[in-house]
Amino acid sequence: MRLSEPRIAIAGVGATAQGELPGRTANEIAVEAIELALADAGLTKQDVDGLITCRNLQAHTGIDEQIGELLGVTPRFGATLDYGTGNFSLHLAAMAIRTGMAETVVLAYGTNQRSAKADFGIAVGGGAEMASVAGVVHVAGRAALAFRRHQHLYGTTEEQLGWVSVAQREWAQRNPLAIFRTPLTIEDYLASEPLVAPLRRADLTMISDGGAAMIVTTAERARDLAKRPVYVDGMAQRTAFRADHDADSLMRPWLGRLADDLWSTSGYRPEDVDALYIQDATSVWVLQMLEWYGFAPLGQGGEFLASGATRPGGSLPVNTNGGQLSEAYMWGWLHLVEAVRQLRGEAGERQVSGAEVALDVSSHDFLKGAASILTTRP
Amino acid sequence: MTYPGILPNTADALAAPFWAATRQHRLVAQRCARCGRFRWTPSEVCPDCLETRAAWTPLSGRAVVWSLAVYRRAMHPAFKEAVPYTVAMLELPEGIRMLGMVGTSTGDADRDGEVRIGDEVAVDYLDIDDEITLVRWVPTATGHVGENE
Repeated sequence: MRLSEPRIAIAGVGATAQGELPGRTANEIAVEAIELALADAGLTKQDVDGLITCRNLQAHTGIDEQIGELLGVTPRFGATLDYGTGNFSLHLAAMAIRTGMAETVVLAYGTNQRSAKADFGIAVGGGAEMASVAGVVHVAGRAALAFRRHQHLYGTTEEQLGWVSVAQREWAQRNPLAIFRTPLTIEDYLASEPLVAPLRRADLTMISDGGAAMIVTTAERARDLAKRPVYVDGMAQRTAFRADHDADSLMRPWLGRLADDLWSTSGYRPEDVDALYIQDATSVWVLQMLEWYGFAPLGQGGEFLASGATRPGGSLPVNTNGGQLSEAYMWGWLHLVEAVRQLRGEAGERQVSGAEVALDVSSHDFLKGAASILTTRP
Repeated sequence: MTYPGILPNTADALAAPFWAATRQHRLVAQRCARCGRFRWTPSEVCPDCLETRAAWTPLSGRAVVWSLAVYRRAMHPAFKEAVPYTVAMLELPEGIRMLGMVGTSTGDADRDGEVRIGDEVAVDYLDIDDEITLVRWVPTATGHVGENE
């Protein structure tokens, strides 16, 4: 079952170098990513009639009016999203295409947050000042509260959680784009000191610079382009507007309702998924979303991780790019880029054999979630 | 002495009554004038019934630890001299949850074992200067009381 017509396809993806890109603006990095995605699709900027960009949280950059001007285009449809993760931009592009407001949309995100020394220490969202005054600063604090609660309810261990970071590092060693490729064993993980106990450095994203872009169009148009189309066969979102002080903003049971929507509207099931991408501001998000999306029963995500299922050679490859924990902090965008490359069979030594269906799930700021099913199935 | 942490903006219109009360060593929260539910954090509208009117109402000052975390590293420069310190999500009998800093003898509840999930804590007050008093939570003699859910 498809949501509606026309079927949507990703026709091109682009990723810049990741890590430290000193002396460059976020918007310039986004434009480079757009050029790479256009080249990947075999298109030029004149072929694009939609532009969706992503505002940088810490700066007034990433606005479509800024990036469109740099790109020198006059698209039929232009928009800026105030939150990232790629999925939200992908869904907006699909809506623009299905309503006939655009046919071929370029989506982009660029950031220089590492070089610009952006401040991620202060909580954002409702009740942010009360949280900061209480000492709950940085995503690590709330992730640690959520994980310790999970430990308390289900007996999940630090070692089980450690397999998120260890497995993703194993994948990253097969990814030339990844920033962190030095080996990380479970022994290394356990021997490292907690930063915000019970979480360690390896459980947290390291801020980095970089850019990513995608070209989204109709399936019909994509079939004439340079690369094999990757179809978007499922989309769902959920927003749980809650203050930081709400338990649901930590454990996020509302993600389970998002998953129900995704599976029921797409007709896909968890067992259809050959490769899974989970946006990982912290490793705790991986544990949570494995459960809420139905890949492990609630409370058994730790055992699932420790079984090795998500590692190279495992039954459910997760974040084969290394994720944000090892590849780069690109707000989930590189998860989508990697999913497309895997489905096209372009992932080199980390290729998941026969991968036809990928699921990308992401969340923003404890209150927004989004998911997309990508496939090469005709 | 400079306080090693982040101080509130006590002039913030929504939160000012809360900080005025802590200055007098009282813990209060808004209680909805229509449905009677407590609001936290301070809010101009009741998220349950959408009523705007509310009365600042005294709380019992007791809470149960729902979860906790120990900052061994300062994740914001303001807390550089404060680590280690323990934070918690607290369940209040009034039906609201608060994030709070929990005082223990070492600051590191994992090492001193003074606070665990399910333990009762009580409000305490830290006078910073002539205008600001912060809330702290401390373990009570009651100790482990289990959980509400």
